[in-house]
Amino acid sequence: MKTRGATWRNSSSETDKSFFWILKKRIMKFPYAGYLLTMPGLILVIEFKLIPLINGFLLSMQNTRGFEDPKFIGLGNYSRMLEDPVVQKTFLHALILVCTLPIWILLPLILALLIFQESPGWRFFRATYFLPYTIAPIIVGIMFRQMLAPEGPLNSFLRAIGLSSFALAWLQGPTSALLSIASVALWSFFGLGVLTYLSGLSSIPLDIIEASKLDGAGFWRMLFSVVLPSIKPMLGYWTVLCSSGVLIWMFPLVYALSQGGPGISTMLPEYLVFLTTFQFLDRGYGSAIGIVLFLFVALITSFSVRYMFQAGTRGAKS
Amino acid sequence: MRLVRALSHFSFGKNQISRERSSAQKLLINWSITFFLVLVAVVSLYPLIFTLLNSLKTNPEFAQHPLSLPKSLNFSNYSETFTRMNVPKLFFNSLIVTFGGILLTTISALFLAFAVTKLKFKGSQFIFLFVISMLVIPSQAIIYPLYQSILDLGFGGTYQGLILALAAFGLPLGTYQLAAYFKTIPEELIEAARVDGAGHLRVLFSVLVPVSIPAIAALSILNFVWMWNDLLLPLVIMGGSEKGTLMVGVALLAGQYDISIPLISAGLLVALLPVFLVYMVFQRKILAGAMAGSIR
Repeated sequence: MKTRGATWRNSSSETDKSFFWILKKRIMKFPYAGYLLTMPGLILVIEFKLIPLINGFLLSMQNTRGFEDPKFIGLGNYSRMLEDPVVQKTFLHALILVCTLPIWILLPLILALLIFQESPGWRFFRATYFLPYTIAPIIVGIMFRQMLAPEGPLNSFLRAIGLSSFALAWLQGPTSALLSIASVALWSFFGLGVLTYLSGLSSIPLDIIEASKLDGAGFWRMLFSVVLPSIKPMLGYWTVLCSSGVLIWMFPLVYALSQGGPGISTMLPEYLVFLTTFQFLDRGYGSAIGIVLFLFVALITSFSVRYMFQAGTRGAKS
Repeated sequence: MRLVRALSHFSFGKNQISRERSSAQKLLINWSITFFLVLVAVVSLYPLIFTLLNSLKTNPEFAQHPLSLPKSLNFSNYSETFTRMNVPKLFFNSLIVTFGGILLTTISALFLAFAVTKLKFKGSQFIFLFVISMLVIPSQAIIYPLYQSILDLGFGGTYQGLILALAAFGLPLGTYQLAAYFKTIPEELIEAARVDGAGHLRVLFSVLVPVSIPAIAALSILNFVWMWNDLLLPLVIMGGSEKGTLMVGVALLAGQYDISIPLISAGLLVALLPVFLVYMVFQRKILAGAMAGSIR
């Protein structure tokens, strides 16, 4: 067979028919099937993710308050955010939640390591820990409204074991309300972390364990030089997941437990976007807060996209 | 499982000289581990049990003994929930949008994953990167413009509007999971079908899909859980229309001023029952294959 370049040179000396023949061949060679098959998915993410993001950015540069027509104000909404104490406090609350991340990362790790020892009933524990994750966060929120009530089970328990000074009105105090929401979120999501770690632990090859056994490694040695390095991908994956989670998993919980209150002490960025847009009908400003939220989430989740791209193109086992 | 035992045996055993002492120590360690695991299990289960017990109490009974067992089984809260929340209608809505979303997202993801892994064409890697990078856009940040997009299509308050949105937000992760799975399927299998004259769709549906059933099932179960449980998208897209999902219904029911704790408890259990049953049935599959996340 001739190379493409050679065919092209020949065509100039031949008739028009062969030119069209080549053209036709080129058109036939065009990977229609490939592009066609990607269309439904591409249309979905472009229409419902990319275009809304672009529109959100455009909207964030408009003043939409009151009954006037939207007015272009450049970065006005963003400079307004910098001076808005509500916005500042809201992002501060998100930062406080970020500070609870070590617990989110370590507690599931400890539980996964313990289940991995196959102590009696480990199957039951594994199934039980994942159960909260399957319950809708809005249901979890409403359930815990009762659990955390001043006369609810948690306080009764604390009084029964002699810790009545800790029996607070959990959702009424500004600090305790935010930490309560963080704890409820942890209750709701820790099982996913346990499973993530377990899937990593079960893929550690036997010979590595045997080898370190022969070297006489103790438990801690084994943990830090064999187990943790082997589950590093899972550790990274879960860290990224719950880091973005403290920014985007909280909406139903705040909605059910506190509506951002008392005052604004449990106001979180995603809830503030919702409230500003749909309650105060300040769409431009709401979009600006949304764009800032997007930037933080994108910064965090881009790590997992990088990993997914490598795994998906090189065929590494996920 | 032998490997797990080997690790457990070894990791908590001391050296062989002090075997006597170490076995007593081991016992103590094992008991404290079990105690800790039981404690976490109680914390995981108690809120559910508490809700179940409350749902079986009458209102005065709950007021008097909020923490005790119900005196008798009283199902009036359940029947009242059914009428106040219109459970059959909401259940039907949830079912339609969840299955529509799963179907649309799975088929789109199958096409995409097939095209980018098996029909390597110019730009296929870029398309794959583009789709999975859409993961970084959370629905929470763009909720109003997203709603606007759906309104512009004339799909506000309709099933198709919510189905499209759910499918779009499930797509990046779904595409990634199926692509990673397709990568492990040997090319020879596809070549054999091609020699027999199978077209792209034949190859996809009669060669790749049958061997990918485990991956598709795992993906569908996880999509089922989040699509059924999601609140923000149905709350905004369905608004006050009568096409709201069970989660919207529960959220609105909990906001009613005259709602009693036993009544809302019954509503919560009704709403969580479908996913609970799915979890019970597919437990093994979910626990074995749940490595997908919930960033959407």
